[in-house]
Amino acid sequence: MSSSKKDSPSAIELIDWLNGEGLLELDWDFPEDGDLFAAGLDSMAVMQVVVAVEDEYGVELVPEDLSKEQLATPEALAALIRSKRQ
Amino acid sequence: MTPAVRRCDVVVIGGGSAGLAAALASARTGAATLLVERHGYLGGMGTAALVHSFCGLYLLRTEPGAELANPGIPAQIEERMIEATGIGPRRYGRVDVLPQHPVEFARIADNLCAAEKTLDLSFHSELTGVERDADGWRLSIATRGGIQTTDAATLVDASGDAVVAGFLSIETVMMQANLLQRPAYVFGVCRPRSAEDHDPLLTAGRIVEGVRSGEVPDEALGLVFRASGRPWEMFGTIDLPGPADGGYDPLDPSCLGELERVGRAVATAAVRWLARKDPSWADAYISHWPLRAGVRESRRWRGEATLTGDDLLQSRRFDDETALATWPMEFRENTRGPRLRFPHTDDPCGIPAGCLKPAGMDRLFVAGRCISTDHDAQASIRVMGTCFATGEAAGTMAAAASGGSA
Ligand SMILES: Cc1cc2nc3c(=O)[nH]c(=O)nc-3n(C[C@H](O)[C@H](O)[C@H](O)COP(=O)(O)OP(=O)(O)OC[C@H]3O[C@@H](n4cnc5c(N)ncnc54)[C@H](O)[C@@H]3O)c2cc1C
Repeated sequence: MSSSKKDSPSAIELIDWLNGEGLLELDWDFPEDGDLFAAGLDSMAVMQVVVAVEDEYGVELVPEDLSKEQLATPEALAALIRSKRQ
Repeated sequence: MTPAVRRCDVVVIGGGSAGLAAALASARTGAATLLVERHGYLGGMGTAALVHSFCGLYLLRTEPGAELANPGIPAQIEERMIEATGIGPRRYGRVDVLPQHPVEFARIADNLCAAEKTLDLSFHSELTGVERDADGWRLSIATRGGIQTTDAATLVDASGDAVVAGFLSIETVMMQANLLQRPAYVFGVCRPRSAEDHDPLLTAGRIVEGVRSGEVPDEALGLVFRASGRPWEMFGTIDLPGPADGGYDPLDPSCLGELERVGRAVATAAVRWLARKDPSWADAYISHWPLRAGVRESRRWRGEATLTGDDLLQSRRFDDETALATWPMEFRENTRGPRLRFPHTDDPCGIPAGCLKPAGMDRLFVAGRCISTDHDAQASIRVMGTCFATGEAAGTMAAAASGGSA
């Protein structure tokens, strides 16, 4: 894994990053277990997130990773990224 | 021999959602009305570009249950569409959306028009020139048989692109290329599986896989699929960034043609990849192309009034309002999916009559996505539910202003 890639994000860092990249528009107090699908994560946004996660964290998410449960919340997505880095 | 000049009370240019409603409303007052459409069916983006849901028909609501925002023609079209598809409004958060099928839309438009004795339809007819005279307007309309001349007491520009303003060389408004809402290419797909047997997230992951492999172009990252409501049929929608040099121009035929060629190439690569890689896409194929790429925003009129994004945020109401806007401002200035801006409350915003009246001109009205608004407000009022309502209002005003002379 390239050293320029960021460490695995916490759920809070992930919220900031999703906002900063313009991938989603989450309120500043968006909860770590908040519903990302209700916040606008649709299948098009998922593609953008997968590409951006690869650039930022050096993690290649494959189709089988993209279940509703694993993407449902910032917590779940952070855990998914962490698990793929091991 | 000079060919006879046809004379009408009201001529409506363009038979999209706005022009259809304008022509019906005008004809229903008894005015001799002509609807001029360059394609062979009505519906505009909702048929020719395969846009497949009606937004803006209903009020924003927290409570369950859809409630129509504008009575009259929007409600009549809603009722017929539900009858045709058997599908009612769908709730997403606070908005209700009616899935619509382009095939049904064209037929419903035929039937609504056929019921009006004072309405004539002229398909395969493109307005190519407009001149003002003492009694109204003299129009040049290009047909297969040559140029026809038609006189109109009043005119409605429902062309979507403010073509009448272009022919009259009147100053219009268009955002710079990088700020325009992005265009899209919508196509039909046959996927011989039930709609329930589709996992949009898995499909999204497969498309990324195809892009990573280099076999599917990057633009496929703007592609989403939706079930059409008919067995085995889906629509694919690709939001396109426009030319690489940033010079997206929705009025330039070479730019539109390039979008369409890119749309077909991206769609073909993506569907072939899915059919090869994913068992739930086996035997899927592209069943049809749209007649044209979808354009969300282009040139607009400058009216006696201009609706703004702030009016929408504040749910402002006007004494002379003609229709209600309810759809949140939907921004698509990039291909990363929609960004929605909701008003502070669920209340609708009025659309003043002045937005449908070009500044400093009489006997001329405008309806649909090219009425007088700023960029932010256009992001709400462009939806078809609202276009039906501004169309109905413009058609009614045009008929009243024509004096019924024909
Ligand atoms: C990809 C995409 C997705 C969208 N999604 C939705 C959605 O989900 N829900 C929704 O409600 N709205 C949606 N919209 C917006 C909506 O489809 C359009 O804004 C709306 O259809 C505009 O209606 P209109 O009647 O003003 O113009 P148009 O639909 O563009 O109709 C204009 C008509 O005028 C004709 N015309 C133009 N010039 C001439 C001429 N010189 N002579 C003769 N005829 C002429 C054209 O052929 C056309 O039929 C979407 C738009 C796009 C592009």
